Amino acid sequence: MIWNIFDQDPLSQTYDAIVVGSGATGGWAAKQLSEAGLKVALLEAGRAVSPTEFTEHTPEFKLKYRDHSPEVIRTRPIQKQCYACMEYNYEWFVNDLENPYSTPADKPFTWQRLRVLGGRSLVWGRHSYRLSDNDFKAASRDGYGDDWPISYADLAPFYDIVEKYVGISGAAEGHEMLPDGQFLPPMKMSCGEVLLRDKVKARLGRTVTIGRVAVLTQNHHGRLACHYCGPCERGCRTFSYFSSPFTTVADAVNSHNCTVITNAVVSHVNMDSSQNKASGVTFVDRLTRQVKEVRGKTVILCAQALESTRILLNSSTREHSNGLANSSGALGRYLMDHVTGGGASGHLPEMKFRPNANEPQRPNGLYVPRFRNTPSSKKNPQFIRGYGYQGGAGPQFDFSAEGYGTSLKNAVKQGVYSIGLGAFGESLARWDNCCEIDKNLKDAWGIPALRISMTHGDNEAALMEDAASSAAEMLELAGAKDIKLQSRTEMPGMAIHELGTARMGDDPKKSVLDKFNQAHDVKNLFVMDGASFVSSACQNPTLTMMALAVRACSHLIERFRSNDV
Amino acid sequence: MKRRELLRGAAVTGAAAALSVSVAAGQKSGQSAPPPDELTPAQRGVDASKDLASPNWKPLFLDEHQNETLVVLSDLIIPATETPGAKDALANRYIDLVLAAEASDRQRAFLNSLAYLDGESIHRYKNAFRYLAREDQDDLLHSLAYSKGASGWTGEAAGPDTGHGHFENLKQRIMFAYYSSEIGTRELGWDGNVMHGVYQGCDHEEGSHK
Repeated sequence: MIWNIFDQDPLSQTYDAIVVGSGATGGWAAKQLSEAGLKVALLEAGRAVSPTEFTEHTPEFKLKYRDHSPEVIRTRPIQKQCYACMEYNYEWFVNDLENPYSTPADKPFTWQRLRVLGGRSLVWGRHSYRLSDNDFKAASRDGYGDDWPISYADLAPFYDIVEKYVGISGAAEGHEMLPDGQFLPPMKMSCGEVLLRDKVKARLGRTVTIGRVAVLTQNHHGRLACHYCGPCERGCRTFSYFSSPFTTVADAVNSHNCTVITNAVVSHVNMDSSQNKASGVTFVDRLTRQVKEVRGKTVILCAQALESTRILLNSSTREHSNGLANSSGALGRYLMDHVTGGGASGHLPEMKFRPNANEPQRPNGLYVPRFRNTPSSKKNPQFIRGYGYQGGAGPQFDFSAEGYGTSLKNAVKQGVYSIGLGAFGESLARWDNCCEIDKNLKDAWGIPALRISMTHGDNEAALMEDAASSAAEMLELAGAKDIKLQSRTEMPGMAIHELGTARMGDDPKKSVLDKFNQAHDVKNLFVMDGASFVSSACQNPTLTMMALAVRACSHLIERFRSNDV
Repeated sequence: MKRRELLRGAAVTGAAAALSVSVAAGQKSGQSAPPPDELTPAQRGVDASKDLASPNWKPLFLDEHQNETLVVLSDLIIPATETPGAKDALANRYIDLVLAAEASDRQRAFLNSLAYLDGESIHRYKNAFRYLAREDQDDLLHSLAYSKGASGWTGEAAGPDTGHGHFENLKQRIMFAYYSSEIGTRELGWDGNVMHGVYQGCDHEEGSHK
């Protein structure tokens, strides 16, 4: 075991950079900056994490309540809305009793949060897709909203860096909406999936590909290839899926330039108003409630979109009276989360495979890249933008078999061959979807909490309607029976892809950050998580968030080298 | 993949370094293991799989008659065949444990369904369900087990199918209790091995999928 012993009080020095948050983006910021020789403090609100607490190989029958624990229901009623919060691992998720937020009564929003080293990278869905200029320049193409201040060419080299390090398994497709990347060998498709892929390509010209996921299909930088045990969200002893504590954060620590400070619940950014510069952050010790300060030449928020924005809103000064870096008024505005709830499912009766709990469990599924409102398709009259599907096909135990007795027991084991597709649709950036400080609500550390106000609009609902009928059409081509359509518009937050609230842009009057994730108003303050997104596209966002963070860090390192900080 | 390879994999990562990162201000000096009260029982390695098999087991929520009825019913729903059934898997004990911790509306719904079974049994066969002859129990269950409308019970078709709704409520509890037990997990093919090899997928020629 390597111990990082400090000769001096870690709070007595001034760091080159303070990174708040140790998840997917904070890990990258800490790695890039510390490996470039900068002195970094990485602050995490939760505790450290150890592989000894991973439970991916623990069978459910060893749990007292077999995932029906009353403790989870009592302390995590919101977190439990996500499948990944379980009796196995609920302590990684925030205690909802200690971490309140409010919403208008008619605008429910579910907010999934982890406070532990690595944050949500411990439990994320791992799908990793590039955005294209169809996304970065979408406003120019259909007139809605704003273009990003960067184009695909600006970000492509950083996608390369991230993918090569993280390890993304996937197949190159040359698709107009989904640029190819640096892939490890793709995972295999099931028979039903191959059938769907071939029929859909032949009849509709649409691409069905295996999910591009941050799960290794070969050994990679000292991490082992996936052993297909299944439940990644409970941890991985072979580190086969990407999570920050065992990759980027480990690299940062090994550089000997990074001090990790856990249990540091950051309340606000401190300002040196004489220079209009951030001077550090104040945090509350999670366990003792002692209030402490860390000083730094730059402050980088990677706490996730809503948390980073909350910190800025709680950092008002006389000069920045409506929240720090908010002269535009755009801070907290344009909250987005991919719309879900549209899709279809059915059975492929001709497939004869039987399910077996002892077979490899592939932690991946299909991906269908966006096929609506693309350069090569007609403009859809019902909606702008589009959606992608995740899904899959394979044998499942038939727990809804009819009857009872021996025939029931046999029918469960016989199983059914199911097939399904579920959409993730673009969430349009709208001023009215926002977060602000709820003056009457504080968390267990006395820090003012958020009031989140978001609804999906008519465009999102139209996307899900179309996603249901289009999915049914595709399943039918594969020969599916008993097809059931679903065209709900799920509650915002359900995709767990919160984006926006500190958008980037070239115009300081309309945006919070510049194109290098630096606050327009405060030159040494950065937000490098999903808050910077101008539009949501429909692809899972973490890969893009990481690439943006690496790009912003490269720019910051250049500025340090030219003494421009 | 062999255990030795696994261990080697762990050793070459930088992971160990990050984990033991001593952490400066917020934590006691030198502390790297998480405080035990911030780990779930599963993360602490607690194995609760033998709890229900205790010879001193007593129901927490159900009374003796309700518990005995549940034992009889679970044995009918998922009988022992060449593999053990729900009675062997102590499905009743798990259901009782969960019920004891549940909200009162869920508890009431379960008791209503159990009482419905006894009510129908007394009405048709003049005795509570667990005292009936096996063929009468079977007869009664058969009359409740199949939806009278379209096949498949959606959970919304109350009214004319009240009996089927109660049957499904009890059946779903028993099925979960069975298939989540060690016996039920083995029934589904699990053998304790976590290394399943690489997912092979489809390698058929077009048109020969099966």
